Amino acid sequence: MRERTTKEILSERSAARQTIPLFNIEALDKIKSDFHSWKRSMLNSKPLENWHAVPQTVLGSEIPREMLYTPLNIANLDYSQSLGNPGGEPYTRGIHPSMYRGKLFTMRQLCGAGSAEYTNRRLKMLLAHGATGINLLFDLPTIQMFDSDEPESRGYVGTVGVPINHVSDMEAVFDGIPIDKISVSLVTHYPRNTAILFPMFLVTAQHRNVPWASLTGSVQNDFIMETVVRSATEYIPPRDVFRIQCDNIEFVLGNLPRWNFITLNGYNLREFGTSGITEMAVAIANGIATIQAMQKRGYPVDRIGERLAFFWSCSSDFFEEIARLRAVRRLWYRITRYRFEANNPRAMWMRCHVQTSGLSLTREEPKNNIVRSAYQALAAVLGGAQSLHVDSYDEAYSVPSEESSLLSLRTQQIIQAETGVTEVVDPLGGSYYLEALTNELEQMILDELDEIERMGGIVEAVEEGWLHRKIANYIQREQIMIVNGQIRLVGQNYFRAPAVKMPSISIYQHDEDLEQAMRQKLAVIRRQRNNQELINALNSLKQACVHGSNIMAHSLEAVQAGATVGEMREAFVEAFGPWHPPKYL
Amino acid sequence: MTDRRSIVKVLMAQFPLETHSRGLLTVSTMLRDEGMEIVLIGNALPERIVECAIQEDADVVGISTYCGGELILAAQLMKAAETRKIKGRTVFLIGGIFPLDSIPKLKKMGFSGVFPPGSATKDIVLCIHNALSSLEK
Repeated sequence: MRERTTKEILSERSAARQTIPLFNIEALDKIKSDFHSWKRSMLNSKPLENWHAVPQTVLGSEIPREMLYTPLNIANLDYSQSLGNPGGEPYTRGIHPSMYRGKLFTMRQLCGAGSAEYTNRRLKMLLAHGATGINLLFDLPTIQMFDSDEPESRGYVGTVGVPINHVSDMEAVFDGIPIDKISVSLVTHYPRNTAILFPMFLVTAQHRNVPWASLTGSVQNDFIMETVVRSATEYIPPRDVFRIQCDNIEFVLGNLPRWNFITLNGYNLREFGTSGITEMAVAIANGIATIQAMQKRGYPVDRIGERLAFFWSCSSDFFEEIARLRAVRRLWYRITRYRFEANNPRAMWMRCHVQTSGLSLTREEPKNNIVRSAYQALAAVLGGAQSLHVDSYDEAYSVPSEESSLLSLRTQQIIQAETGVTEVVDPLGGSYYLEALTNELEQMILDELDEIERMGGIVEAVEEGWLHRKIANYIQREQIMIVNGQIRLVGQNYFRAPAVKMPSISIYQHDEDLEQAMRQKLAVIRRQRNNQELINALNSLKQACVHGSNIMAHSLEAVQAGATVGEMREAFVEAFGPWHPPKYL
Repeated sequence: MTDRRSIVKVLMAQFPLETHSRGLLTVSTMLRDEGMEIVLIGNALPERIVECAIQEDADVVGISTYCGGELILAAQLMKAAETRKIKGRTVFLIGGIFPLDSIPKLKKMGFSGVFPPGSATKDIVLCIHNALSSLEK
């Protein structure tokens, strides 16, 4: 007999529960009859014809909206079961009792460009201006796990992030930055480069005598990023990537009690091309698979759940974005509580970092993007995010300038200090509309999760090409909707100025000197290290990959022996062999 | 390639380390819907892109680039095309995010069309047909 799906388990649980509806039958009857006579007498036929409208927005869910929401839309609402108080089950209203009064959201702006030394200065600048966390970006070769001197890296060194080849580069980035006091998010994306770059960070800490146990921060470590969202010259099989994801987690569980070992990244998946529903269904399916795999390794849900975090995109449909965060918080609670029988409240918390949607920004009239990002950021805060990145207005066509990234930080500070929205927890909770939308979104995420689980789970869904196809179809459809004006973008396809003056594109200009310097530095490193020691370490890493023991101890050993990012990538490819992702077209 | 097929064959690729493929995918689907045959090879070194274009006997090579380095890699691509003698016989197009002053430089290298963000499908299609008919002459 097949395993019951999450949806089946949750519906059994909800059928067994006694509910106490918030609205009494008498009141509902009266509301109903008043509502119908209001509709008849107050509205002429036009609004009635268009009672349902489908918002067409970038990356939206296209859930039809009624013109007005009343208690009838949430007639069965049971306050304690559906909402509860913040900091209490089912956490719909927030994971902490006092939310932003107790702890403001972390203002975590992305940073990393050019050399290690330049990135180090940018990080210090952001910290001096009040940033409360670090979000470090790596350059393209590093993200794709290539060394600066490989043929593939030609022209890309220092592009969109900082180049890291060797542990000494990591040390230069964090020079003088108190890594034991400030939380560090390493934007590693893939499990494989997490298993390369995180050990480099850990060895940096060792060299500075900072105990690992004192480190706080996160790595991304998401196999969907490596197998579906990433575009690359070579892949390894999804099943092996998933295993590396779990090895990384197991290592952190044993050594870094305050470190978040996985950030289930819905953001990049959605921005690549899925709805906000698929974004959440896929991340949750990966979360479920991860908990199951870690349970098999002997770790209880109460420990795993504590350090598992999510990363969501926040786009333009204001209420949908708020409702989505609330919906997924409740759903994650229900899954951990009822499917996995967690007891530790922290393991039931859907903790998340939110970034505003880069895809929703336009190159036409770029200052409009300041307004778009500010509304999106406000939605994230009203939805109860723990941490936030606001996209800069030039991100549609450029690497953000210092001026525009400071403006993003200021956007967050204005929300915190001037709007007053942080004073009241879940201020929109109880809105008929928002609660109805929250319910609907939770159901739709659960339905899509069910579809994934019926395929055998998220690893199978990736192997089979389900997610690849879904993205290709979504992108095609959305593109058509933008071209024909169904999705309106002010200044681009709606109220487009007669003569649009496009801003110039300033992307990171290739820095040949940096590329050459990195190549020379590598040549020196390769000459000076003990290459026999390195070969042994890389061999033991390959052995661990093949034989199934945890790879992280071997990755650390390789880093300590002076391994470069590219050398470690090759070790993984040799051990796991290639995989060819399903065809899109 | 003197006798052009009635169906235009387009090889779509991006340079080796580009991580974003939404643009590549969007344009590929757009051109497919215009009745062209698409061979989507994804990320590859410039030399490999040329090799595939020869193997596939592609009429058009379309490159998507986002992350900078386009001048260096495009030059490498054109050098390989020249060495393998397909320059002047195959149409090369490039699109994506790059500084506007790269546009004349890319055209000079031999790209028949250079498309910054927001380019319309019809312009890309028109460019392909014009470039193909001028090749035939």
